[in-house]
Amino acid sequence: MNMKEMNTQYQLDTLLKRVEKPGRYIGGELFSAQKDLRQIEARFAFAFPDLYEIGMSYLGLQILYHQLNKHENIYCERVFAPAGDMEALMRAEQVPLMTLETKTPLTEMDFVGFTLQYEMSFTTILNMLDLAGIPVHAQERGENFPLVIAGGPCSFNPEPLADFVDLFLVGDGEKALPELVQKYIECKKKDITTKEAFLKEACKQDGVYVPRFYAPVYAEDGTIKELCKLYEAAPLPVRRAILPEIESVDFPVEPIIPIVEAVHDRSVVETFRGCTRGCRFCQAGMIYRPVRERSKDKIMQLAEAQLKNTGNDELSLLSLSTSDHSCFEALTMELIDYTKRENVSLSLPSLRIDKFAFDVLNRIQEYKKSGLTYAPEAGTQRLRDVINKGVTEADIYQSIEQALELGWKHIKLYFMIGLPTETYADLDGIVEIAKNIRELNYKINGPKSGRFSLTVSVSNFVPKAHTPFQWMAQDTPEMFEEKHNYLAERLKKLKGVSFNYHDNKTSVYEAVFARGDRRCGKLLYEAFRAGCRLDGWTEYFNRQGWETAFTKSGIDVNFYTTRQRSYDEILPWDIIDSGITKNFLKREAEKALAAQTTRDCRYGCVGCGMNQRVVCPMEGIYGK
Amino acid sequence: MANKYVIRFSKTGYVKYTSHLDLLRMFKRAFKKAELGLAYSQGFNPHPKMGFAQPLSLGYAGRNELIEFETDRPHQTAEILRAMQGKMPQGIEISACYELPPEVKSLAAAADSAEYRIWILTDKSELQLQEDLKKYLLQDEILAMKRMKKTKKEEPVNIKNMIRRVEISKAGDFAVLEALLDCGSQSNCSPELVIASFCAFAQISTPRNMIEVERRNINFVNKLQF
Repeated sequence: MNMKEMNTQYQLDTLLKRVEKPGRYIGGELFSAQKDLRQIEARFAFAFPDLYEIGMSYLGLQILYHQLNKHENIYCERVFAPAGDMEALMRAEQVPLMTLETKTPLTEMDFVGFTLQYEMSFTTILNMLDLAGIPVHAQERGENFPLVIAGGPCSFNPEPLADFVDLFLVGDGEKALPELVQKYIECKKKDITTKEAFLKEACKQDGVYVPRFYAPVYAEDGTIKELCKLYEAAPLPVRRAILPEIESVDFPVEPIIPIVEAVHDRSVVETFRGCTRGCRFCQAGMIYRPVRERSKDKIMQLAEAQLKNTGNDELSLLSLSTSDHSCFEALTMELIDYTKRENVSLSLPSLRIDKFAFDVLNRIQEYKKSGLTYAPEAGTQRLRDVINKGVTEADIYQSIEQALELGWKHIKLYFMIGLPTETYADLDGIVEIAKNIRELNYKINGPKSGRFSLTVSVSNFVPKAHTPFQWMAQDTPEMFEEKHNYLAERLKKLKGVSFNYHDNKTSVYEAVFARGDRRCGKLLYEAFRAGCRLDGWTEYFNRQGWETAFTKSGIDVNFYTTRQRSYDEILPWDIIDSGITKNFLKREAEKALAAQTTRDCRYGCVGCGMNQRVVCPMEGIYGK
Repeated sequence: MANKYVIRFSKTGYVKYTSHLDLLRMFKRAFKKAELGLAYSQGFNPHPKMGFAQPLSLGYAGRNELIEFETDRPHQTAEILRAMQGKMPQGIEISACYELPPEVKSLAAAADSAEYRIWILTDKSELQLQEDLKKYLLQDEILAMKRMKKTKKEEPVNIKNMIRRVEISKAGDFAVLEALLDCGSQSNCSPELVIASFCAFAQISTPRNMIEVERRNINFVNKLQF
């Protein structure tokens, strides 16, 4: 260790005595990677743009950390956003952002890789770079600074971050990310040492998008006239990296065990990736196709190994729709037996609420019946058909009735407002559902069911890239507010019903970046300069900062949010090929407007284009 | 058989910044992984029967910390020691395991005093420091401000009789205090009180974050030793 390092570490030590939850910044957790630096050819900082407790609950981090560290010549370390108190001290005493594992300043990494989970984390990325002493603009980073890369769901519209990120890796990262880092090592060995030269090599790989190799040309009305290539060999569009199957892909059974209690302190097994249901608002349902499953035996094996290695007392399954696993019932029965025997509690999120689900829930929540959450998403059948949420009125009431009969007392309903074609009749539908459920409870439990509570939670619809709603207008904040008031007024009259809704401004900012172009980078930069970061936290959300940023950047919010796009407009994210064709999205958009549903493709291919690239294992399986 | 055991461990390096509760959680997890069959309390909300001899403040290192626990079946202490290895984060080293003597109800109740080593960054000389300490100890009352549990207000308390022994020397730029203080449910003196009152007395203005504390040992009544 040299003097400089010792000094930074001593400085860190003196900071840790003055902050809340210093355990967030120390590393050294069980199963965190310790490596001999002399054997390392590339150092990678996995950067999560949020606090430790949030980042450590994110399975993707554990997966990629494991995948990278399997390679003897790569060292993947972690870094999270510091909380406000720590940041203030770091800035005041000029302590740079460091990795948890070796307390190495990020400037000494080969890669700093950010995961893009939600748009409202973008300012935190800039802030973390700044705290590390790394220039935020890619253009200002010389050869001596690390490559800043990014991946995750928000990289499907990477453009708002194009000014700051050297390379995006779009799609499944398990194989693609180590491949990219190995390519970097090879390049170094072959004396290809400039960033530019490496990026030219890298962009040959599926999923790699290097923003500097492209330039959008804008028309007078502000839309994109043309996407130009600045480097001839760069692909256009960039094809998302896809794993054809995940059964044989290594999954971590020795996940890092957080020192400070994370939001979710439990074992998690991903059962499958992708979804066949085709809800039209859902980006995850589009960009993770096709459905690729782990077998029941594999899942059992992973769950058992993970629980043994971690000593966790809770197990959860991860997928977009738990019940859709093709062996779901058998898997669940086996898991229930196993977890009972091992005294582990089992949680099954996003269950389809049917008879089997109730049997299961009844068995795993024997003693403590927690709340039941149900997401009809929209208040009327018409609107549910618009969004292709395959749930009928009868489904909703039958499920809730059964839940009430089995003794659930707390029910939570999720809806979205501002969906395309929504009218006040659809809001009335939400109130109607709440009313009917209350009456159902009265009918089943009588007048003395004092403990009954029903929560109606609405979120503001944010149109997302790569979905059939990518062309649609978002409601204005005023419209959202009116709708909130409308609902609040009606729902408050219902005893036992409480009503939650989201902040309108955040939904607008989120929407700008969800469908933003490169020019939004200016907005992001100004927001960061105005002190915005950790925008997902109410205590850090800086409305004034955002207002300033909008003014300074001259960004017209409505252009990005409330503007209806035409089908032939070149969209900023057209640069990324998710595997779903634009024709399919257009067809789906048209059907949405006509309130026509599209079947789950397990009943037969619906022509999204995915099977032109890889095999869809679930295609038509119910039809046969 | 009572199946009660004590594990001795050290907590050094960055892990000293984990809280008492987080460390307890980590031990619970390690016991579970070691498949020792931790005993649980009866009742509606059963919790594992385990606890530290004395909680260690966040930010303090510990050389010889102790955790006691009860299992639902007997074990060899060597077997426990082996099973617990490699199950804790960096900086927690488990060094020994003992059976808790049957006449001891709980370690926490038997704690009597604790030895601390305190490093304070200062430019004072050793001689000056020793002079300061002598005068500090000769006061009729050694008053330190303590936040009261009930009123939440800071009030002066006399800690003179809680300081059993204290010595000072200089190592490099640091004053090194070796202090033996009351510790336990009968009488408890936090090193923070000694640090604050001594620094005030000796007019040492070193900020708290430039001061390191390490607990060296916990001593018990009835010559109980681990």
